[in-house]
Amino acid sequence: MTSRIINHPVLDKVDDTDFVSFTFNNDEIRGLRNESLAAALLANNIRTLRVHEESGTPRGIYCNIGHCFECRVTVNGQQGVRACLTPIQEGMTVSSGEKFLTSVKDWRSNNE
Amino acid sequence: MIICRCEEVTYGELKNTAETYNCSARELKLRTRAGMGYCGGRTCRSMVDSIAHASTERDVTQVTLKYQPPIRPVSFGSLGEITK
Amino acid sequence: MNRVIVIGAGPSGLSAAITIAENGNEVLILDEYMLAGGRLLGQLYEEENGKWWNGIKESKSLHDKAVALGIEIRLGTPVSNIEKLDGSWVIYTDEETHYTQHLLLATGAAEVPLPIPGWTLPGVMSVGAAQVMTNVHRVKPGNRGVIIGVNVLSSAIAMELKLADIDVACITLPKMNQVTKESGNPMDVMNSLLHVSHMAPSAFVKFGSKLMKNEFMKKMGITFFPKKGVKMWDIPIMLRKAVINIYGENAVEGVTIATINASGEVIEGTEENISADFVCIAGGLYPLAELAAVAGCPFYYIEELGGYVPLHNKRMETVLDGLYVAGNITGVEGAKVAISQGVTAGLAIANNLSGGKQEVEINEAIKRIEHTRDNAFIQFHPAVKEGKEKLQRYWEEYGQEVKVGVTS
Repeated sequence: MTSRIINHPVLDKVDDTDFVSFTFNNDEIRGLRNESLAAALLANNIRTLRVHEESGTPRGIYCNIGHCFECRVTVNGQQGVRACLTPIQEGMTVSSGEKFLTSVKDWRSNNE
Repeated sequence: MIICRCEEVTYGELKNTAETYNCSARELKLRTRAGMGYCGGRTCRSMVDSIAHASTERDVTQVTLKYQPPIRPVSFGSLGEITK
Repeated sequence: MNRVIVIGAGPSGLSAAITIAENGNEVLILDEYMLAGGRLLGQLYEEENGKWWNGIKESKSLHDKAVALGIEIRLGTPVSNIEKLDGSWVIYTDEETHYTQHLLLATGAAEVPLPIPGWTLPGVMSVGAAQVMTNVHRVKPGNRGVIIGVNVLSSAIAMELKLADIDVACITLPKMNQVTKESGNPMDVMNSLLHVSHMAPSAFVKFGSKLMKNEFMKKMGITFFPKKGVKMWDIPIMLRKAVINIYGENAVEGVTIATINASGEVIEGTEENISADFVCIAGGLYPLAELAAVAGCPFYYIEELGGYVPLHNKRMETVLDGLYVAGNITGVEGAKVAISQGVTAGLAIANNLSGGKQEVEINEAIKRIEHTRDNAFIQFHPAVKEGKEKLQRYWEEYGQEVKVGVTS
């Protein structure tokens, strides 16, 4: 996991020994205990957290502090959970939402 | 180019609407759905405001895009819960 | 039932709660984030005296002090609504409904985006998001990034990314349109950067301030501003380039930039691609005042404070009985000002609970806010003082119009 910043010139060293496992879209993922779901997924190189329900465009973390709701996922069956505010837990089941099956006619006809 | 990420409302759509109807920010929002999605407009409100105020004067004494409760999504479970 | 409730566990909320508890009152703090500290958590910069302002340590010391005073802090608790019912403030959260006579809103600020084609791609995030990922979660937002928006916040965070050994390809402007008209205009950006010259040990600002004596020279400065940019902390700052597109299949692969003229217009045929796996959008901050709005506070738009702010006096009292504000909800400023505002709000609440025992301390605390502001290392808007004076005038006018019932 090269994307973690374990040593830092000013901040304390990170303890990267205590891992927990959870699943994201059925893949087993390991993250550090108590870190946010958004951080754990990014550390595993996962950037797409969901797709836009109407257009299907991929979305990831945007604000990272709970304001934008772009990182919302389904956690243990509960929809609309913000990955950036949710500490990971052992055995957690996480999945992305899907595109709506019935699309709206002329969606984004003016997309310029 | 998208302005409202939740409802995928574009810059072109907002600019045309603002120019065609000479809209206030609130009318612009109601006509296009910009700011009416999942996040409650927290992300795009300043941009919708800017587009509206390119063609109309800003009233500095009131919030142009009204805030509506709940300001975070609430599940029906907690809405229906009786607490004292 | 004299328990005070504070919404927001950032620097102002925590210091207000500490002050209220030190004066012998019970306090409950609610915050939707998983850690206490708010935006303070991500901050990391070297001060003039050579010491590091470490947001994580500052947050922890405020948090520990609050806990030692017996303050209850409920994290992961979003507030969805507040209202006044039968003389009490009612605070709605998912799990529970709380009641109080004295409610402090310390909800901070949210980021202003700059729209760029492709900005919904995974890997594009607000500059604050990259800061939190890097300094708080210690995960790299990517290996190589481009920061769009040249301002105090973005240059501070660029330096923080650099410290964590993350490559920042450049800091540059967004393509100008109705939304980005100021952040996309090199002249406006240059003007707003001049007041931060003291915090930048950089060729960039030195280069700038020499040329900035008058309007003509400013124009010359922009015209001759090197197209490749000048380097700050080894990161090119490019005022004569703008990002016109962010590209990538399912995530960011890079940005297309183009040369712009002194008024921000794109010069055709100058497009080039810069590869990057993350992009930061830095449009600045605005006061996050949604709870004050649903409660019914009057608002005023004050550009110098970052947008709409709820009307309040120097004691941080709103016009609504028992409702107080502190921190960035009252205008975008640094954490130290937020802390001093929190202390003031805390004293105002304690004073109202004790029947007037903290009057002297309140006046001192108000002076301390002004002193902190005057000595602030980082200032987001050069005219924040004028903004505060405007607000004070609105408060006085409002009092005369309504003849607030406290006079007799």
